[in-house]
Amino acid sequence: MPTLDDEFLATVLRDVGDSFSLPPAGPSAILGRVHRDDDERAGRRRGFGGIGHVEDGVEVADSGEPGPPPLRTARRTVRSTVRSHRILTAAAAVLVLLVVAGGAAVLGSGAPKAKTFGSAAPVTALPSTTAPRSGFGVAHTPAGTKAAGSTSAGSGAAASTPGLAAPATSSAPTTTNGTATQNAAPGLGSDAIGQPARIEQTGSLDLTVAKGAVSATVDRLDALAGANDGFVASSQTHSGTGGGTPSGTVTLEVPVASFSAALAGAESLGKVSQLTTNATDVTAQYVDLQSQITALEASRQQYLTIMTRASSIGDVLAVQAQLDSLQSQIQQLQGQLAVLGSETDYSKLTIGVSETAAPPHHRAAAAAPSGLAKAWHDSVHGFVAGTEGLIRIAGPALFALLCLAVALLGGQLFWRRLQRRNL
Amino acid sequence: MEHRLEDWLEEGYAGSFRTACLILGNRADAEEAVQDAFLRAWRFRDALTSVPSIKPWLYRVVVNSCYSKLRQEIPHRERRAGDGELAERMASASDPASSAERSEVAGVVLAALQRLPVSLRVPVVLRYYADLSERDIALAIGRRPGTVKSRLHEARRRLADDPDILLLGANGALDDPVEA
Repeated sequence: MPTLDDEFLATVLRDVGDSFSLPPAGPSAILGRVHRDDDERAGRRRGFGGIGHVEDGVEVADSGEPGPPPLRTARRTVRSTVRSHRILTAAAAVLVLLVVAGGAAVLGSGAPKAKTFGSAAPVTALPSTTAPRSGFGVAHTPAGTKAAGSTSAGSGAAASTPGLAAPATSSAPTTTNGTATQNAAPGLGSDAIGQPARIEQTGSLDLTVAKGAVSATVDRLDALAGANDGFVASSQTHSGTGGGTPSGTVTLEVPVASFSAALAGAESLGKVSQLTTNATDVTAQYVDLQSQITALEASRQQYLTIMTRASSIGDVLAVQAQLDSLQSQIQQLQGQLAVLGSETDYSKLTIGVSETAAPPHHRAAAAAPSGLAKAWHDSVHGFVAGTEGLIRIAGPALFALLCLAVALLGGQLFWRRLQRRNL
Repeated sequence: MEHRLEDWLEEGYAGSFRTACLILGNRADAEEAVQDAFLRAWRFRDALTSVPSIKPWLYRVVVNSCYSKLRQEIPHRERRAGDGELAERMASASDPASSAERSEVAGVVLAALQRLPVSLRVPVVLRYYADLSERDIALAIGRRPGTVKSRLHEARRRLADDPDILLLGANGALDDPVEA
C-alpha cells in the first residue's frame, strides 16, 4: 500500500494551495492600509511635537503642551503591558505571592528561635517576686571535649593558693565556663535600679583523681574553701569498702567574688569530667522584696500614729491586730530577703571526687568507645547530621527552585512575546 | 538597503496568502491574516538588517499572524471554515482538466491536514507547500530544527493513520496523485 511520502504530500499540498485564487484587491488593500498606517503614525509624531495629536483614535485639541502627561503615558503603558502580557503578569503575581509567603514563613520560623534564645539569655527585668527565676548557665564539658577559652584562670588561682599543689594528673579541660558565667551573669546593672546586681551563682564539678587520692583531695577542697573566705557546707565520702569505687562529694560555699578562683582551684585538683555553672539574676526579686518591706513598714508607721490617737479600747485592739499582721508580714519578707541575700552573697560549688576514670554519676559516658566503635559512632552521627542538614535546606531550596522556575517561565513567555511583537 | 512594499507583495503575497489558507482553512481569515502580517512586517522592516534571509522572516510574520487569528477567531473560524468549503473550492478552482478523483484525494488530504493540531499543521504547510527547509521552518516558528523534524515526523504519522487517507490508500487513489 502506498504511503504518504514527502513527494506525495508536496504534490498534493501544492495542488491544493495553488487552487486558492488570490483575492483581486488583496495587494492594493494592503498598500492602502500601510499608507493609512504611515499617515496615522506621522500624525501622531507631529502631535507629540505640540501641533495636536491623535490619541486612541480621538483627535486631541492642542493645548500648547508638548505631549500627554507623563503619568497618563506611564499608566497607559502599564495597562497595555498588562493587557498584552497576561501570562507574564500572572506569573509575576504568583512570584510576588510566593515571595510574600516565603517571607512570612521565614519570619514565622524565626520567632520560636528568638524565643528559644530568649529563654537562655540573661533576663534583664524580673517582673515581681511571683515570677519564676530565670537562669542561665553552661552545662557541659565532658572529658576530652575542648571548648573555646583558656585555662589561665584555673592555673593562676591554683598558684595563688598557698599549700595547694596541683597534682600530677591535673589536666583541666580547656574551658572557661566559670569565667564565661561570670561575664554573662549580671542581668541588671547597678545603674538600672540604683543598687548592685544580685547574682545567685552555683556550680557543679566532677573530678577524677589518682587512685587513693580521694581523701587528700577532699582535704584540699576544705582548704580551698578557707583560702577563698568560704566554708564547707557539706562533705560526704565513700571508702568503697562495699565493692564500689571510693568517691566523695563536697559542697563549698564561697563569696560570689571568689567563685571563679575557687572553681579554678578545684579544677586544678584533678581531671575535670563534668563542669556545670549556673548564674541567676535575682536583683529584681531582691528589690521587690525590699520595696514590699518598705511599704509595709510605712503602713506600720501609720498604724502606730493611729494607735496614739485611739481613745477606746476597741479601737486600740483593732489597730493592734493590724499592727500584728503587718509585723508578721514584714518579718516573713525580711526572712526571704535574708535568705536571698545569703544566696547571692555566697556561691555554692558542689564537687564530686572519684578515683576511677568514670565520673561518679556518668558511668555510661565513662565507657569510652574503642577506636572502631568510636569510628562507627562518629559515622552514624555524621550520617544523622547530614540528613538533618539536607532536610533543613530542603525547604528553602525548594522555595528558591520554585521562584526560579516561575521567573524562567515568565522570562521565556516574555521573550517569545517580545519576539513575536517585534515581527 | 531600500525596501519597497510593492516588491514584497509581488514576490510574497501569493505564497503567503495560500500558506495562510492552508493553515487557517478559509480565505477570509487568511486574507485578514496576510494583511496584518504585511502591515506588521512593513512597520518593523528595520529589523530586516538583523535577519539572514527575508523569506523565512516573512513567513514567520505570516505564521504569527495566523496564530493570532486562530486565537481570536476560533468561533468564527469554526463557523466559516469547513471541509465542504474546501472540497468545493478544490473542485471549482482546479484545473478544468483535472479529474474528480484528483479533487477527492486533495480534498481528503486537506481535510486531514485541518484535523492536525496547529503546531503540526504549520510545519507541514511550510515544508511541503512553501518549500522551506527545516532550518528556515525553525526560524519561522521560533523552534529548534530538531523540534521541527520531530513535528514533521509526527504530522506524517498522523496523516498516514488518518482513516480517510487509509481508505484512499485502500482504493488505490494514493498510487500516483499527480497522474490521477
